[in-house]
Amino acid sequence: MVKRRTVMFAVLAAVVAIAAGCGSSSGDSSGSGSTPASSTGPVKLTMWWWGDQEAAGMKNFVADSVQKYEAEHPNITIDTVLQSTDNLMPNFAAAAKAKQGPDIEYRWGGIWNLQDAWDGNLAAVSDYIPQDELAHYLNASEDTSGGKVWTAPWYVQPSFPVLYRKDILKDAGVAVPTNWDEFLAACDTLNSKGITPIAGGVKDGWFGGWLYSIMGSQSLTSIDDLKEAVVGDKKFTDPEFAEWWSKLQEMIDHKCWNDDIGSQELYQAQQTWVDGKSAMTISAGTEVGNFVKQVGQDKVGVMAMPAYGDGIGAGKLGSTSQTLGISSWSPHKQEAADFIMYLHTPERLAAFYKATGALPADDRFDSSSITVPQVKDLFDMSKDGSPYLENFIPTDLDSKGNFEGVQLMFAGSESAQEAAANMEKEMDRIRTIQPDLIDNFKEWAAN
Amino acid sequence: MSTPAGARRKRRSRRRTPWQALLWIAPAFLSIAFVFGYGVYRVVEEALHREGEWVGLDNLRIVIDDPPFRTAVGHNLRLLLTLPIIIAIALVLAILLYEALRGWRIHRFAVFLPYILPVPVVGVLFGQILTLHGMLNSSLETIGLGGLAHDWLGDPDIALFSLASVIIWKELGFGVILFLARLLSLPGDLYEAIKVDGAGFWRSHWHVTLPMMRSIIGFYVVIEGITLFSWVFSYVYVMTRGGPGDATQVTETYIYDNAFTSDIPWLAASAATVLLLGFLVLAAAFLVFRAVLPKRSLG
Repeated sequence: MVKRRTVMFAVLAAVVAIAAGCGSSSGDSSGSGSTPASSTGPVKLTMWWWGDQEAAGMKNFVADSVQKYEAEHPNITIDTVLQSTDNLMPNFAAAAKAKQGPDIEYRWGGIWNLQDAWDGNLAAVSDYIPQDELAHYLNASEDTSGGKVWTAPWYVQPSFPVLYRKDILKDAGVAVPTNWDEFLAACDTLNSKGITPIAGGVKDGWFGGWLYSIMGSQSLTSIDDLKEAVVGDKKFTDPEFAEWWSKLQEMIDHKCWNDDIGSQELYQAQQTWVDGKSAMTISAGTEVGNFVKQVGQDKVGVMAMPAYGDGIGAGKLGSTSQTLGISSWSPHKQEAADFIMYLHTPERLAAFYKATGALPADDRFDSSSITVPQVKDLFDMSKDGSPYLENFIPTDLDSKGNFEGVQLMFAGSESAQEAAANMEKEMDRIRTIQPDLIDNFKEWAAN
Repeated sequence: MSTPAGARRKRRSRRRTPWQALLWIAPAFLSIAFVFGYGVYRVVEEALHREGEWVGLDNLRIVIDDPPFRTAVGHNLRLLLTLPIIIAIALVLAILLYEALRGWRIHRFAVFLPYILPVPVVGVLFGQILTLHGMLNSSLETIGLGGLAHDWLGDPDIALFSLASVIIWKELGFGVILFLARLLSLPGDLYEAIKVDGAGFWRSHWHVTLPMMRSIIGFYVVIEGITLFSWVFSYVYVMTRGGPGDATQVTETYIYDNAFTSDIPWLAASAATVLLLGFLVLAAAFLVFRAVLPKRSLG
């Protein structure tokens, strides 16, 4: 009797365990967890995005937009999920593997969304947003491949202005530098007076990409040069690609940077500029309004990185837009596109600027509403912007070439020549390991 | 009063057949097999394919030849070199606590506290303490040792050493408690006997404590070895993200970066498979070594 009961119990327990293990694999696997519905039926959209990371006030704007949109479309609910900088890409990569996750995804421009497009993780927005509407969205060209626009520009990211403290420069007797030699001379003078010339932080790596984009573009004659280097027709050790490393070394030699740049994260270092401990910093264009508010309108000036060369980026800001994409597995692609278009309505464009002080990526935005002089300067500079280099190289090259190279140069462990050589070595590695990516680049470059 | 026949019946009823035991452990075994076994199967399957096509061992060859992977493995091996330091310090602390030095309860708490702190919290704290103008360097300057101040996490030559120091600080507590528990279970008459022979503090612990603790030390070696080779992701991710450059890149961050940041899943899966095979070889070697080693009765 005891024996029979023992056997029955054990078998029953085993069956329950197996059933529980199998049960989770037979659940609903549709894109956002909801079953497809017509646009008149209930629709739930999930949006993964970046929050206030580079434009304070974004969270309030998005919450307000969602509330208003849901009021106009009672069958639609929109669930917004915040992502951090470091998790933005990895989380979407994981979602893409499982084909579950957001319907709408915040993406940086250029390669940062095109790689996912080439991998089949995004649906082209040009399939859902009419051409005459899309024509108003700024910088859509860098999100275009194979004749389609893959993500929709949302707001402009002037990349990246140098912010200077007028009060600190004046007290130090330093004029605002207008060229490279004056810039280095300013570093020398500020150092002699015990003032940190420029605050930066490279511990988290991202600043390396910024420096590459605003300095590396000064020696290129065309963005096509860069694509040629990626596919192997040119080398990253060629002078037009390597010169910027030498210029960075000049800045290091002239002690232009805070001595703890290697152990500070980017946003930590910018705070020291707000606190008056350094004369200059480099900021996301979208944050300028916020910094002006913190420091005072009469104390802040903006400029492009002083020019050392005469290439496409000399004396200019990079012009790029942060975007919103639609996941390829989303069962509500048109509804997602409709919400994106809603964000580009005139009322929403004005509300965006009012909430964030950042510039919507839409030529229908009424620039006369810009009240902060420094943001107006940025807007004017952005009209004649140059391509933003980071958006035109493989993301791996950016992290392993630029991020790591800049960290090692600031640590004194790598020379400018070694950094350029490592950039080419890393590109060579990518050509070996990711040949499909290179093929996509060739097609992108050809078009 | 039980008869011999009754005793035999009782012994028969208590004896379990092997298949009955298997039935009892079947639910747990099947759950583990599904979670780990299926996961390992999928990783190995990914490692043997590229862009959906079978490539055999080609991916494994690529990853073994990949310089960043070799760098990462090298860093994990260097972290393993801290194992003797961790064991030695944990032993000494456990013995001092065992000797019930004054304030030993407070010391025990202070030693174990780091172990119960979450790793990300420790990482964030030390990420600030070890900056160039952080608390450690400020303290050194205050006591006149400013010459020892360094950019502990920003200098690629010492960043891995700094990381290892934090790991040692955090992992020590577990070893101390483990060793202390074993010490408290040792028979006291052994120490009395050796003291009668004239042995002092060091001799008594060298000749009595260490041999008696061989098995628990071996256990701790295995646990910490596994930690240092495959459980340091949180430390690296929070404190340095593998930088500066690739100075603190380890195998876990290599796998993570390729799987989720670079979106090269076959490379990440291949790295995981190579490491799995490496561990299986080591485990087999260890079992063979134990089988042929003459058994001792102590411990």
